[in-house]
Amino acid sequence: MSGSDFLALSPLIALALTPLAVMVSIMIRRSHWAAAAAAIAGLVVSLVLLGAAANAAPRQVTPLIVVDAYSLFYTGLIAAATLAVVLLSYGYLELQTINREELYILLTAAAFGSAVLASSSHYASFFLGLEILSVPLYGLIAFLAARKRPVEAGLKYLVLAGASSSFLLFGMALIYFDLGAMSFGEIAARLGGASFALVVPGSVLILAGIGFKLAVVPFHLWTPDVYEGAPAPVTAFVATVSKGGMLALLLRYFYSSESRGLSPVMIVIAIIAIASMVTGNFLALLQDNVKRILAYSSIAHLGYMLVAFLAGGSEGAAAATFYVTAYFVTTLGAFGCVTVLSTRERDADRLEDYRGLFWRRPALAAVFSAMLLSLAGLPLTAGFIGKFYVVAAGAAASIWALIIILVVTSAIGLFYYLRVLFVMYERREPEAPEFAVLPAAGGGALAVLAVLLIWLGINPGPLVEMIRAAVAALI
Amino acid sequence: MAGVLFALGLIGLLVRRNIIFILLSIEIMLNAAGLAFIVAGARWAQPDGQVMFMFILAMAAAEVSVGLALVLGLQRLYKTLDTDAASEMKG
Repeated sequence: MSGSDFLALSPLIALALTPLAVMVSIMIRRSHWAAAAAAIAGLVVSLVLLGAAANAAPRQVTPLIVVDAYSLFYTGLIAAATLAVVLLSYGYLELQTINREELYILLTAAAFGSAVLASSSHYASFFLGLEILSVPLYGLIAFLAARKRPVEAGLKYLVLAGASSSFLLFGMALIYFDLGAMSFGEIAARLGGASFALVVPGSVLILAGIGFKLAVVPFHLWTPDVYEGAPAPVTAFVATVSKGGMLALLLRYFYSSESRGLSPVMIVIAIIAIASMVTGNFLALLQDNVKRILAYSSIAHLGYMLVAFLAGGSEGAAAATFYVTAYFVTTLGAFGCVTVLSTRERDADRLEDYRGLFWRRPALAAVFSAMLLSLAGLPLTAGFIGKFYVVAAGAAASIWALIIILVVTSAIGLFYYLRVLFVMYERREPEAPEFAVLPAAGGGALAVLAVLLIWLGINPGPLVEMIRAAVAALI
Repeated sequence: MAGVLFALGLIGLLVRRNIIFILLSIEIMLNAAGLAFIVAGARWAQPDGQVMFMFILAMAAAEVSVGLALVLGLQRLYKTLDTDAASEMKG
């Protein structure tokens, strides 16, 4: 490897060293403040190094990793989202009495795995990135091991994630058996027109593995339970970073290996997208738990992203990437509100916890409302612009059936977001236990996210330009 | 051969209710995938298949160690290894 290879990899290297830095800080002295600071420093360094790596990009570093504008964009998104999660976790963990520093090791290690996924161009790095992401997640979900629900959620996630990665591996093995190649580029070259017996079943098995991580129907069964059971900041992490890395890989895999010609696989993806949009939005109507509502809504949102993916072309990839960014900001904000309202004993996940929130904490209620409206896709928010681009990309590719389902189901989705909103603005005497003071770090992160949300909703131009440039590397 | 092993693991995963057996079934499925990789590597006379098998072994070990830690937690909280007991949350 040459010097510029190292330069191109430097954000990833910084991310990989961050968990080690946190570990060392715990070894020297166990201090919550120092561990969080080490994690934040590592993430900021890797964000800064993105600029340096951009000079060396695009570059194929070993057959495993490709560093281009696209992977750097996602790496930056993942690092920034992890930064927000670290800030949110700090206030949340201050309330807990257990050993809390290890959370930052697991968080940053999982973020590294997700970044590897986003820049992988080979089955081996795909698999390794996936596992570096998954194994810390088991620990993160069950982090509050004294409570029953986190342990239950962690076990469920572990069993299903293990099964789905074996599906994924088996699919990879089938394709490798047929084609004799494992890098995405070579698979595309060898596919070239000829038909192979095992490629379609292999692709479907790989899709099952990917679909599990993205939590799309019919691989969504773990989502509500894990979202409910996991500590609120971890839920934010599962909903954003773990899905973002996988979606980046999905786009790269199917764009670079040109398996788009594999129409059976595309039909399967279209069915998955429709099922996710319908199931996610309808089941969310039946929930009383805010975390579960958000879980089902995230299933629906992944369905919308798949519509953009199916639209294909540079427009589709740009729409999907913009939607991911908007979804990151919104979901982090929504779960951030849940996080800062949580108490020492339990997370603020019942609808009752939000009754009359506006009269107790107007600022927080306003932020939460903005996040919900963005999830619903109302104008002036990032969610609206995201949906607009998805619909535009779909219309350009004239996949009308999917677009109609998207519009209809998002209208249904409006109901359950409005339900939470109404509860928040209901007037009621505050006899509920008062919440502790808003943690400064989490509150600051929320404020930044809210500003970002509105800013993206009003002035999406600069980000769209950036994303167009990034996905140009993909095609 | 690998397909049969994979199917056996999947059936075990679906039928068994004891968490230890579920973890065992996952191991069987992972090893089936590993076997398929070795066969594929042998077909193309490449070392890649065996390299992937090494990765799978390492990952399975990591996964099962975290899994057993969670099993201990389950045992402590519920006094049982039956997965049906630990299903308070219903989707």
